[in-house]
Amino acid sequence: MATPEDKKGYTFAPYSGRVEAGKIRELALAIGDENPIYTDETKAKEEGFDAIPILPSFMEVIDMWAGPSFEDLMEQLEIDMKKLLHGEQEYEYFAPVYAGDMIHAQTKVTDVKAKRNGMAIYTLETVYRNQNNEKVMTARQVLVKMP
Amino acid sequence: MKPYLLTAKDAEVGTALPALEKPPVTRMQLIRFAGASGDFNPIHTIESVGQEAGLGGVIAHGMLIMGFVGQALTTWVPRAAITKFGVRFSAITRPGDQITVRGELAGKEETEEGTRVKIKVQAVDQKGEVKVKGTCEALLPRA
Repeated sequence: MATPEDKKGYTFAPYSGRVEAGKIRELALAIGDENPIYTDETKAKEEGFDAIPILPSFMEVIDMWAGPSFEDLMEQLEIDMKKLLHGEQEYEYFAPVYAGDMIHAQTKVTDVKAKRNGMAIYTLETVYRNQNNEKVMTARQVLVKMP
Repeated sequence: MKPYLLTAKDAEVGTALPALEKPPVTRMQLIRFAGASGDFNPIHTIESVGQEAGLGGVIAHGMLIMGFVGQALTTWVPRAAITKFGVRFSAITRPGDQITVRGELAGKEETEEGTRVKIKVQAVDQKGEVKVKGTCEALLPRA
């Protein structure tokens, strides 16, 4: 019988998306983050950036708009989306990501723990590279499937 | 405004960082966040779907609350200094909830590259319920 653990090591199709200044602004406005570096290039340069940087949680925008849809993700993991909880989200930052950058992302299921009661905990890791093939960020996401 | 830890250079481990108080979460904010992030799960925007899912109505995107925490972080350290940022989602946020992001300096180490700091952070609502707990690591540049 198939078990959740079978998904350990599963690799999703890679996806690519451009970081758009308008999406950075839109996310900052939705959150209500008034840090001017996200909307004003002069302010960004005053903080030492080359251009407008992304918000710390911006990569969700690339995941959601350029990556597999949530329904597709759940289908590939064989999870009923009504039973899913987002448990944890973590990012590591290696180099700045700017408006205009092209991001190439690849996600892998690095761990699955199934509990006896039917609960399962999935860890997904995504590596983000820019147009120069430089690893700029990684993400670690914990998804919890309720019994 | 200059990030707090760049001005309070002598801050010791255990120091509480200035809290960020957000206005109450609104339904319109959830609609805007859905469009901005691309997370169109209808439990965040359509009342009847939230009701049918047994949630008692729409609930906020966890990533919106992570966004609030991210906003607080850059009031404490420069955006460019952040090397790691992680959160654990522990409770549901609803429209009307008023989130406060609190931080505490949890670690500080002088290195050749600069000062490495660790910050513990929590987002709580008006009743004190913890919505998100997390940590951030940052490398503060040498003055």
